Amino acid sequence: MSKINMQLKELTENVGKSYSVLQVDYPTPNQAALDFQPGDVHAVLAYLKGQGFRQMSLLSCVDWIEDGQFQLVYLLFNWEAGLRLQVRTRIDRANPVFTTVTGIYPGAKYYERDVHEFFGVEFNGNPDSSKPLFLENWDDMPPMRKDFDPQAYSDRKYKAREYKTDFNTKAGEGQ
Amino acid sequence: MKEVKLFLGPQHPGMHGNSSIHMYVDGDIIKRSYLLPGMLHRGFEKSMERRTWMNNIALIPRICVPEPDPNEMVFALNAEALASVEVPERAHWIRMLVLELARLSAHLMAFGGIGGPTGLYTAMYWAQADRDSILTLFEEITGQRVYHMYITIGGVRKDLPKGIEKKILAFVDDLESRLPDYENLVLNNPSVQARTKDQIMLPAEVVWELGVTGIGMRSSTGKAYDLRKVTPYARYDKVEFDVPTATYSDAHTRLTLKYLEMYQIIRIIRQILDLMPAGKVREKALDGSALRWQVPAGQVYSAVEASRGEYGYYTVSTGGTMPYRVAVRGASFPQATLGIEKYLPGHRIDDAALWFDTMGICSPEIDR
Amino acid sequence: MATADKEKKLKEGWEGISRFFRANSLWMLMYCTGCCAIELPQAMTSRYDMERLGMGPMATPRQADVLLVTGYLSVKTLRRVIYAYEQMSTPKYIVAFGPCTINGGIYHDAATVIKSLDQYLPIDVYIAGCMPKPEAVMNGFQDLIDMIKDKTADGWKRYRDNYDWYKQNQIESLGELRIKDEYHE
Repeated sequence: MSKINMQLKELTENVGKSYSVLQVDYPTPNQAALDFQPGDVHAVLAYLKGQGFRQMSLLSCVDWIEDGQFQLVYLLFNWEAGLRLQVRTRIDRANPVFTTVTGIYPGAKYYERDVHEFFGVEFNGNPDSSKPLFLENWDDMPPMRKDFDPQAYSDRKYKAREYKTDFNTKAGEGQ
Repeated sequence: MKEVKLFLGPQHPGMHGNSSIHMYVDGDIIKRSYLLPGMLHRGFEKSMERRTWMNNIALIPRICVPEPDPNEMVFALNAEALASVEVPERAHWIRMLVLELARLSAHLMAFGGIGGPTGLYTAMYWAQADRDSILTLFEEITGQRVYHMYITIGGVRKDLPKGIEKKILAFVDDLESRLPDYENLVLNNPSVQARTKDQIMLPAEVVWELGVTGIGMRSSTGKAYDLRKVTPYARYDKVEFDVPTATYSDAHTRLTLKYLEMYQIIRIIRQILDLMPAGKVREKALDGSALRWQVPAGQVYSAVEASRGEYGYYTVSTGGTMPYRVAVRGASFPQATLGIEKYLPGHRIDDAALWFDTMGICSPEIDR
Repeated sequence: MATADKEKKLKEGWEGISRFFRANSLWMLMYCTGCCAIELPQAMTSRYDMERLGMGPMATPRQADVLLVTGYLSVKTLRRVIYAYEQMSTPKYIVAFGPCTINGGIYHDAATVIKSLDQYLPIDVYIAGCMPKPEAVMNGFQDLIDMIKDKTADGWKRYRDNYDWYKQNQIESLGELRIKDEYHE
């Protein structure tokens, strides 16, 4: 990572002047990852939107089960300069509540529904966020959480054909 | 008149893929409409956490069925960024060749797909026949017609077979000579024009609001917002091509841009075959057996320009043998979900199928 | 004795004639349930030309003979496939594509994809391959035609005779069979 984009470096420094950035990382030369406190995210997003980051490509969530936290990741893109930002924050896993960003990026509406459905994060201010979207009659914990075991769920729920002969290779065979 | 509830799909000949639009109509005007996705939900993001980095290459092409190669490309780009792997020069060019052929086949499918909602089945037959030639080329290059599993971490799986350049050139020459026929058949066809001109508008402010990318974005903003130009990956900075744009985005404009892009793809393919150097095609990315690779920890997002727009993966690694988390950005997610909820109302029922076709909506990448 | 014998023979004769016509004019339901459907346009159009087997697409389940289950089925789709299958009029046949319909295939550990389709619906022909090439698809259809001719394509009879068993399996895995038509309101 020798040649990090100068414009990007300048931008992260400017962000650091007005908001408290917890950590900066440059995964690729034209991409920066910035960590914030949950309370700062909306102000930062509004500021960055004014700086040319007009598109929110993706809202995603990472389940850090060992830290007891969910990490929300807002991926922004600046089409003029070709710069990408990851705006990240961590919220409590036991009480996953956050405020919607649909006021800043209206396109976030369905991404928030997606994150709610798969991780169980509530988004205050997004009236549809708690409705089911992809899943129908789901009866377990949100399926993308790390402690959910899809294999066990599938074995319990769906019938499989019973075979008279076991065709699986035993240990030591077929090497 | 009373509002009537109506379902378009999932079992409907005008529907692209297995998804459904629930609409409330008054006469034949849509009053409210919602996409009902999830019929193709397979839980890819969870399955990828349960497979090793190399095993995932075999799984992920299935996320987008008509154009599977961008999946492998973004997954490989992410792993290479995390592990700081340099890909051999020739592999970059082969990747571009495969991606462009895939884009051409997806464009043909979507361009011919306009035959469904407008009743012009000839277009579908022509386009499928040409797409079949590309699938035959793919079979020779990769061994598979649809799911190639060809682009891997550190390069591509194997070198091009001997003499394939000639076959590819013969095919693109043949297709280029017949593209004017496509124009006469589809774009200049009065019945298609009546259905697509000034229909299903996509103004620039809607593009920015929803986050639409790809042809939809370029057709209304008039700027060359193409990831191949804005953030060149592989060797797109070494080839010359134009990005067709427009400022008035109706269904016909978007079809025209798709048609013009096919010329540019052919232009790129010719340059690739001309400039491609010889050499290795695959670098061993990490130490040890490929099935026990441990990719260094990090969080990175990569995106490529698919035929429908920005297609990206957000990959999180904790240094294990499997990815910790992969999030997929389907290129057509915004226009299919929020777009249908907010901007389809007001159109006629029969425009819903046109919306699906000209916005380039691909349901498996939305459901994942 | 003579009249009963005659009637039986007449019935068999008529069934033979109708089987002949059924086998040579199959309408398949246009329902792309999964990814194997991407090779169907190739099989239907110029290069492979499915119509030479007498097969064509049909838009509505009530007039279709063949239900193609093209690949994996998520529970959400299975609910709708059962709905479509029960609307079809007998005799009706199911052709299942790929390994996903046999044991879940590559999605064996996915929480929303069923494992074995024959626990929920009767299947007449399996087509191998991920995804099956158009040649394999055409071969599978030819097998179905042969099976109709020699009376072995009897999935719809099995469904009728073991209706309770199928229904019980469906309810066990899907919970509710009814499709909620509200947009999750």
